[in-house]
Order: sequence, then C-alpha cells, then structure tokens
Amino acid sequence: MTNDKLIQVKNLKKYYNKDTIHALDDVTVDVNKGDVMVVIGPSGSGKSTLLRSLNLLETPTDGEIIFHGIDITKKSFINSQGKKERVNINLHRQKMGMVFQHFNLFPHKTILDNMILSPVRVLGMSKAAAKEKALRLLKRVGLEDRASAYPIQLSGGQKQRVAIVRALMMEPEVMLFDEPTSALDPEMVGEVLNVMKELANEGMTMVVVTHEMGFAREVGNRVLFMDEGKLVEQGAPREIFENPQHPRLQEFLSKVL
Amino acid sequence: MNNLITAEGFEKTFNFIKLIQQGLVVTVLLALLTVIIGFILGILLAIMRMTDIRPLRFLGQTKSGKLRKNRFLVFLSKFNPISMIATIYVEVIRSTPVIVQIMLIYHGVFGLIDLPSFTFFGFISFERFLPGVVALGINSGAYLCEILRSGIQSIDQGQTEASRSLGMSKVQTMRHIILPQAIKNILPAIANEFVVIIKESSICYTIGVRDIMSAVESVRGAYFIIMEPLLVAAALYFCLCFPTSKIIAYFERRMSRGDKR
Repeated sequence: MTNDKLIQVKNLKKYYNKDTIHALDDVTVDVNKGDVMVVIGPSGSGKSTLLRSLNLLETPTDGEIIFHGIDITKKSFINSQGKKERVNINLHRQKMGMVFQHFNLFPHKTILDNMILSPVRVLGMSKAAAKEKALRLLKRVGLEDRASAYPIQLSGGQKQRVAIVRALMMEPEVMLFDEPTSALDPEMVGEVLNVMKELANEGMTMVVVTHEMGFAREVGNRVLFMDEGKLVEQGAPREIFENPQHPRLQEFLSKVL
Repeated sequence: MNNLITAEGFEKTFNFIKLIQQGLVVTVLLALLTVIIGFILGILLAIMRMTDIRPLRFLGQTKSGKLRKNRFLVFLSKFNPISMIATIYVEVIRSTPVIVQIMLIYHGVFGLIDLPSFTFFGFISFERFLPGVVALGINSGAYLCEILRSGIQSIDQGQTEASRSLGMSKVQTMRHIILPQAIKNILPAIANEFVVIIKESSICYTIGVRDIMSAVESVRGAYFIIMEPLLVAAALYFCLCFPTSKIIAYFERRMSRGDKR
C-alpha cells in the first residue's frame, strides 16, 4: 500500500439550520491511493455527509477538500501556468464513482443504457465500445443476461451490482459507497459485498460508509469512527475492533457486535 | 323560441354547413396555435421559476461565506427577481377568469394597437383571431408552467445525484435523466390541458372570432333555433377532444415500458 494522498480533507465543516446543527465538525482525514477506508458510526453521526461532501453532492460550510492538488470546494484555482481557472466539478466527479443506498438507477433506461449513457455523453466514447465494455463488466458481476432489462425487473442486489459497474464504466480513481447494503434484503447483502471485496482486492481506492462490521474488519485497511459530526477515532480494523480507546466507540461496538 | 328538437331544426342547421365547417377550422387552428404558444411560454416560465439567480446573495453571507446572523439581510439575499416575476404571472393568470383575460387583452392591449384587417384562408379575420390566440396562449402558458414544474420536481433527488456523480452536467442531467421521466409523469396532465384548451377556445366567439360557437349563434339568429346547432357543436367538440386524449394516452403507454416487471 502506497502512501500517495488521493483526497485530503482539511477541517471540513457542514452546518445546517442556521448553524445550530453540526453535521460535520472539523473533520480532517486523508484518503490514500489503494485505501479501503470504512466509515462507521451511529445514524446522524455525519458519515454520509462526509462521503457526499467528497464529490460535493453536499456543499460544505467551511474547510477544504483537495483532490489532484485542487481545492474543489472553491470556485477557482491557480493552474500550473499561474493562471486563475474555474474548478469544473463535473471533471472531478468523473473520477469519483459513487454508489448509493437506494441504487438510483435510471428507471426509464435499460441496464445497458444506464451504463453507457455517461461514458458516451461525457467521455465521448463510441456507443459500440461502451456497449462492449458494459457487457464485459456485467459479465464480471454475473448479470450479462440482464443487459436489456429495465431496473424495475431486477432484485435489489442485482440493482446494486449494476450501480457499481455503472460507476466503474467511468474508470474512477476512487469509489464512494454510501451504505450500499442498507436497503437490501439480508440474503442479498452477500452478493454486493462480494463484488466490493473483489474490487478492493484489485487495488481500487474505496471509501465505504456501512453498518457491515464484518466487511469493515475483513476488507478495510482503515476504519474511521464518527460521532456527532466529529472524527472520534481511526486506525487499522484490528485496533478499532479489538482495542477501542474512546468510550463512545466502546459503547457503539458493544451495541453492534 | 321553441326548445323541441326536430329533424327540421337539424336541416336548418345544416343549411349553415359552410359556416360550421369554417368554424371547425378556426377552432382547430385556435387550439393548435394556443398549444404551441402555451407550451413555449410554459417552458420559459418553468425555467424562470426554477432559476436560482439571486443578485443580492452577497448580503446574506460574511466574507468567509458563512450565513449572517442578521435576519433581514438573509431575507434580502433570497430575493430572486426572475423567479418572482414568473410566480406573479402564474398566480395572476390562475386567479382570474379566462373571459376577463380575453376581454382585457382584446380591448385593453389590442385596442391600442392597430392590427391590419385582412382575412386568411378567405374567412378568418386576423384582427380578431390574433387577440384570441394570444389571450388563450397566455392563459395556458401559466397552467403548463405549473404542470411542467411539478413534473420536474416530482423526480427523486437521487436521480440528479446519480447523474451528477457520473460527471454529467446540469443540462445533460435535465435532458437525459429528469425531463424524460418528468414528461412521462405529466402526460395525463398535459392531455387534460390540451383538451381544456380546445374547449376553452369556444369563448373566443365573445370577441367575434368565427369559431364553432359563432356558427351556432348565426344559426340561432337566422332561424330562432338553439338546441339543434348546440348539439351539433357539442358533437364537433367531442370529436376533437376525445381523440386528442386517446392519442396522448397511447404515447403514455409507449413511454411506460420501463414500468413493467
């Protein structure tokens, strides 16, 4: 595992409701290349807000998110020629794949069209090449025969596997998972976790918000524990699960394990 | 006047067949042009209502971009003139009767402008037809705006998030993800609005547009019969409205392919 910093989060804050609710309270953390960073914590602790801030689906109140040397929370940056340039968030989002709790497949498009839409429209890939790539990815997750189906015809686990490969179509440098198994029937959780595990084994950088402690322990190389918008404790899964320091983490683990 | 419906009455009505035919053409043209104007206006208004251009935004924030404590300044910073204009337009139109709007536009606006008085197709007088179309278009624009806006806002926020997270721009998201789903959802409401436009066009006879209703009045003036020409008019309107809603229902079925399990 290299120590290349892919995303640097500095003093990130997100306040709601006239600054009375602190969803994120001064969070500083680095995501390194190849990391499988698992974020755990009780509901409302700011895990999802942190993840959604990384690709700016949530606009932080204050702080920095540095991706490829550019603070993407600002409107502009100084480029290598010393000129002011606008931050194009669409460009950065292409490199961050995102998987949602509720899948968010496009219901009016077939599985194949769901997958090729963005590569064709955004990256300018040819339709034929995109289709070939989509079928290859679908085969990997065992869904090549469902290419012409519509999302509603798929089970939850199948939808989430499609959502993962749809994000992979863009060749992202990091994958963000926002509680990917929370909306699934228990028997379908495994098939999605397996795909994620495979992805991790291939060296994909991943940030995963989840309640699956087994996954955090087995696949994660770093675990973050958040509570009330604060990053309370972080470390290797072993340290977190076997030797938790903070009383809040001890209490949380005693409830979920 | 005798209110009995007689075969003779229908015969007399059909003596005016030429006028009724012309009236039918006028009604169809009136409705078609209204739909076009209304749709363009509706799209413009819907975009205006959903824009987020706030010229005083800076008033509500401190230099570091935080929200100010001063409530009044924060209130001012929310001022969005474009959206406000569209909202006022929609509310005024929706809260006043069509007949008042038509009269106001015919006497008020077009009373001040000297329209060239010529006829097209040989029987449609431009100086009466145009105010009718403009008034109906202005009216249906407000309703179509609300239909479009509610359709767009009914699409789950997650769709936008998924699309944007794949790197697609706001415009691409609107075009490929939001609008196709929104239009499918609002087709029944749009069909309803089209039918309403066809029917509502009948009040244009009050400003002298020679549509179907005006032909009815001509028959009444000539023969003092009312039921027979009215029944003919009702049949004609039905033959226009019923197929319109059926055609849109067909598109609705075609577009809901993705809904089937």
